[in-house]
Amino acid sequence: MSDATVPKPRTKREAQAARGPYGRLGQAINEADDRFGVAKGGRVFLDKIFPDHWSFMLGEIALYSFVVLIATGIFLTLYYVPSSAEVTYHGVYAPLRGVRMTEAYASSVDLSFAVRCGLLMRQMHHWACDVFVGAIVVHMARIFFTGAFRKPRETNWIIGVTLLIMAILNGFVGYSLPDDLISGTGIRIAYSILLSIPVVGTYLAFFLFGGQYPGTEIIPRFYIIHVLILPVIIGGLIAAHLGLLVRQKHTQFRGRHKTEHNVVGSPMFPTFMAKTTGFLFMITAVLTLLGGLAQINPIWQFGPYQPYKISYAVQPDWYMGWLDGALRIMPSWEWTGWGHTIPFMVLLPSVVFPGLIFTICYGWPIIERYFTKDNELHNLLDRPRDRPKRTGAGAAMIGLMFTCFAASSTDVLANYFNISLNEVLWFFRIAVIVVPIICGFTAWRICLELQGVPEAGKRKRANVIIRTAAGEYTSERTEPRPGDHDEELAPEPVPTLIELEPVGVADGGNGEVDTPPGVRRVTR
Amino acid sequence: MSEHGPGVQEGFEGAFDGEENGTPVPVSLARWDDPHMQVAARDPKKTERLIMTCFVVGILGVAGFGAVFWVSPSPNYYWLYGLTLGVGFFFLGFGLTAWGKYLMPQGPFVEERHVLAGTDEERDAMAAAVVQRTDVVLRRRGFLGALLAAGVAIFSVVAVFPLLRSLGPLPKKSLFTTNWRRGSLLVDVNGTPVHVDSMVVGGIQTVFPQGPYRNDPNQAAKDQTVLLRPNDSAVATGKDLPKGRTKWVPHGYIAYSQVCTHLGCPVKLYEEQLELLVCPCHQSMFNIRNGAVPQFGPAARPLPQLPLMVDGNGYLRAAAGYDQAVGPSFWERTTHPEWHW
Amino acid sequence: MLRKLVRSRFFLPSGLVVVVATAGLLAFGPHAGASGSPTPTLYGTDASVHHRSTPADCRLSQGQYGQTGTFNAGSPFHTSIRAYEHGCLVLYGSPYIKYALPSSSLIPEGDLLFQTYCSTCHGPQANGPYGIAPNLQGLGPATVDFWITTGRMPAQSLRSKQAPEKTPKLTPHQALAVAAWVNSLLPAAPFIPHVQNPNAANLADGASLYTLNCAACHTITGAGDALAYDTYAPTLHNATITQVVEAIRTGPANMPRFTGNLTDQQVRDIAVYVTTKIQKPQNIGGWGLGGVGPVTEGFVALLFGVGILMLVCYWIGDRS
Repeated sequence: MSDATVPKPRTKREAQAARGPYGRLGQAINEADDRFGVAKGGRVFLDKIFPDHWSFMLGEIALYSFVVLIATGIFLTLYYVPSSAEVTYHGVYAPLRGVRMTEAYASSVDLSFAVRCGLLMRQMHHWACDVFVGAIVVHMARIFFTGAFRKPRETNWIIGVTLLIMAILNGFVGYSLPDDLISGTGIRIAYSILLSIPVVGTYLAFFLFGGQYPGTEIIPRFYIIHVLILPVIIGGLIAAHLGLLVRQKHTQFRGRHKTEHNVVGSPMFPTFMAKTTGFLFMITAVLTLLGGLAQINPIWQFGPYQPYKISYAVQPDWYMGWLDGALRIMPSWEWTGWGHTIPFMVLLPSVVFPGLIFTICYGWPIIERYFTKDNELHNLLDRPRDRPKRTGAGAAMIGLMFTCFAASSTDVLANYFNISLNEVLWFFRIAVIVVPIICGFTAWRICLELQGVPEAGKRKRANVIIRTAAGEYTSERTEPRPGDHDEELAPEPVPTLIELEPVGVADGGNGEVDTPPGVRRVTR
Repeated sequence: MSEHGPGVQEGFEGAFDGEENGTPVPVSLARWDDPHMQVAARDPKKTERLIMTCFVVGILGVAGFGAVFWVSPSPNYYWLYGLTLGVGFFFLGFGLTAWGKYLMPQGPFVEERHVLAGTDEERDAMAAAVVQRTDVVLRRRGFLGALLAAGVAIFSVVAVFPLLRSLGPLPKKSLFTTNWRRGSLLVDVNGTPVHVDSMVVGGIQTVFPQGPYRNDPNQAAKDQTVLLRPNDSAVATGKDLPKGRTKWVPHGYIAYSQVCTHLGCPVKLYEEQLELLVCPCHQSMFNIRNGAVPQFGPAARPLPQLPLMVDGNGYLRAAAGYDQAVGPSFWERTTHPEWHW
Repeated sequence: MLRKLVRSRFFLPSGLVVVVATAGLLAFGPHAGASGSPTPTLYGTDASVHHRSTPADCRLSQGQYGQTGTFNAGSPFHTSIRAYEHGCLVLYGSPYIKYALPSSSLIPEGDLLFQTYCSTCHGPQANGPYGIAPNLQGLGPATVDFWITTGRMPAQSLRSKQAPEKTPKLTPHQALAVAAWVNSLLPAAPFIPHVQNPNAANLADGASLYTLNCAACHTITGAGDALAYDTYAPTLHNATITQVVEAIRTGPANMPRFTGNLTDQQVRDIAVYVTTKIQKPQNIGGWGLGGVGPVTEGFVALLFGVGILMLVCYWIGDRS
């Protein structure tokens, strides 16, 4: 902007004058505005306010993990061959040389060993998937406990739950693609789960797999589901998720100057953009470090899948672990009669149970509204303690999920603690009922207790006893300590132009004049 | 806007007072002494140097990744890729975030939350238009609407056929059958027949029917059978087995389907002294003495048993095929063993 | 030290199948040689040379198999290499694994050790008379050697269902001595295995056979895991190549016995795969996370991945 003051050759100055006060970029904006009308909405977008609370950034972990998933996934598609055709391996890894295997497995091993950076990309992809689903769950918990799903945001909650399901499905399908011994076992289990569905189960299984297990169709089919169908659905839902977020604006916690009718925080440009872009880099960094330094799914050790081979201690990835745990602890109930069989020990934990869980998730806004009869619009968030029943229900759900997840490692736990596997299994059969109750009740009770404590979580303020001249005693609370205020300043709309230093100092370039003392706001 | 702090000047001199469609867009300036312009850093110069250092380290990391890629290390040094790139990304990101957090105006800034809902008049206008127009169109030409609906409905039913049906064959009886027949020779994974003397007591082996089956995954998946020779005379006499199976266990050999009746994993985990076959996937435990009845875990049905016999040359053969469908349960499966399609 | 010596001698290239019998050396039984060396003698010879019928008192017991008949490799029958000393079979096997009888000169020492450490439970004649510990007669020296060298015996307590692996109380030499004495009560196969020429093993076959036969219990990474009730499959990460072969051939405790369906060559492939790729896995992806699969990976993803990123959120954002 200060170009105009810098002495330049005549012709250039004239050129600058012709461009207007905002130079080439300004001119470019003019050109774009002529065609697309970017100025009006763009300015509003630059000034868009994002509340600064740390818990509002959890969804970004998921979003940017997805970015990493797409980037690394594109790399992997260049080398992976989705084919069940048999080949003989002649690659780098000695213990597999001369072994007959599917092209899918051979190409997965080759891209790990022989392609530069291939293993890093594969491991980043896998870690990003684990983190992606984990971040979705954590984000979802934040939304749930703060009541951000309430009107008007029920639709976005439903989109979010769908995203979680799609992410889990795509994770499972992707996990199956290398066609190693472990993932092949997972596919076998998936086929058997489909078989367990009454009436249509066998048809579903035969249609998905193109016939009997394992067939040759499932790898190419899973591939197209994994790299096209589900990613497009996920991408579209993410776009809708963010679009609704922008349209409805972000929620915020209660606080001074924060109302149902405003949003207080940092502007999109430059503050939020700097923070979030930096966060994107850091998320990529954490995933890169995990992918480079922590080994995940070493398929070359597992060997190719053969239907008659098996390893002990095979588990699915963590986000499927709760289903595996539910399958393990289920008692052996099977119904037979009239020439038909319903394997409840498979159907209940692997079809009905997740169906129930996700139905509760989908329906929670409706369930809650049924009880609260609350039809208001809410832009301010609840503190979890103020909604003890909801918090209790959420804690119970987390307890249930965690118990099921832990039950998927009964063998590991029995081995580690040196106790009987059967006893561990019985422990979980009981815990899966008891733990959610304890979690729910404890959370509910803690919420009530916290409500009873005024200013819980804030620093204590001293009471000063004052003796008057007449000998009378009064007590007076001291001022809150610096920093304990919610906001000390009234928030303002974002100004068009900002100055961070006195005019002249920045341009003078001597760098000696610091910000004058006395105007520094106390750090929040 | 007038209630805002003294540092904000509206209509900043020299700037465009953008006026579009009659709505003035204020071009405001927040001066450096406006408290909203304060940065979070206590010492901005120091923070700036810190961020600079971060960026330099980040650049080194990213450049280091390029160097590693150029050198192309052996597999034992693959971790260098992730380390260099990760460190590079991390410090670039950390520096950028710190820039935003410590060196940019901290506000707080505010934005009005506009009511999304329209006025009552607007809603009424919308609803009236939708209801009235639909009503007019459909009432006049209701039959056309019904025909169109019928077309869509029929298509959605018909579409199921190409979408689903062409994906795979019908199950028919394939889930009920295996390639085991009376007289099938037991062979191991290499195709070697199993001689009655070749397996030691306490041994375990995976066997298939002789023929082009064991190398075909579709056939091996359901034909796979676990052959045991337990160190227990009770098995050799078959006294704990269900009735009619005493002849199925020649020379103490006993064979069960290796496909778990729970979810189809190969039941290969054999605990010789406990006389249990355990499924490695969900730990169903089958007692081999009494016909592989599940003793613990989620499986509900015994593993089907393969009747064995010894031929004149001393080789093990199947005395019959499996009397029931092997593997996990499904809707069409019956309890009756002899039931076939 | 001694064991090292013995093994180094056995690790001769397979071309030298005919191993020179070291001196009329420490002969069998009462005719023991004068050297008195505790080193178990290496009886080696070509199969064609000293093929004599075995005297009745030296015939190996087949009691453990509960039957008569012939067996594949792993038992003294159907093997390509046999050596006799004073009419007794002292070495058999194949170019891949040789099974040698511990030297009879160790028997007195073994007797003493057995009476000190083992007889309380197994009885002075090792026939398990008290019902608290099994009869050891006729199990073969490899069985005894396996249980002692892995530290499982002498057991610490009779309560645990499965004797845990621990630091061996007896030295490898002492274990051989005990095995020699127990075997002298009722000679039986298998003898102590000595893997020949491990570098020539086929790792691909080893890996394939490992997944087929071993991974169902010991897990694909050899980490071991809990099995039914109180039993567990131990980790393979500490096993020596001899112990792996001994376990495969003898089937300790709940482990099945792989004798008929695995040839010596296959057993060598497996044993070499276990002592190389299982024990020193090629973790080119970085830190191996203990090789126990997705549960640990999930915890790392959630605690390190999501956890660290949440801390970063906490730093970036407002905390009021």
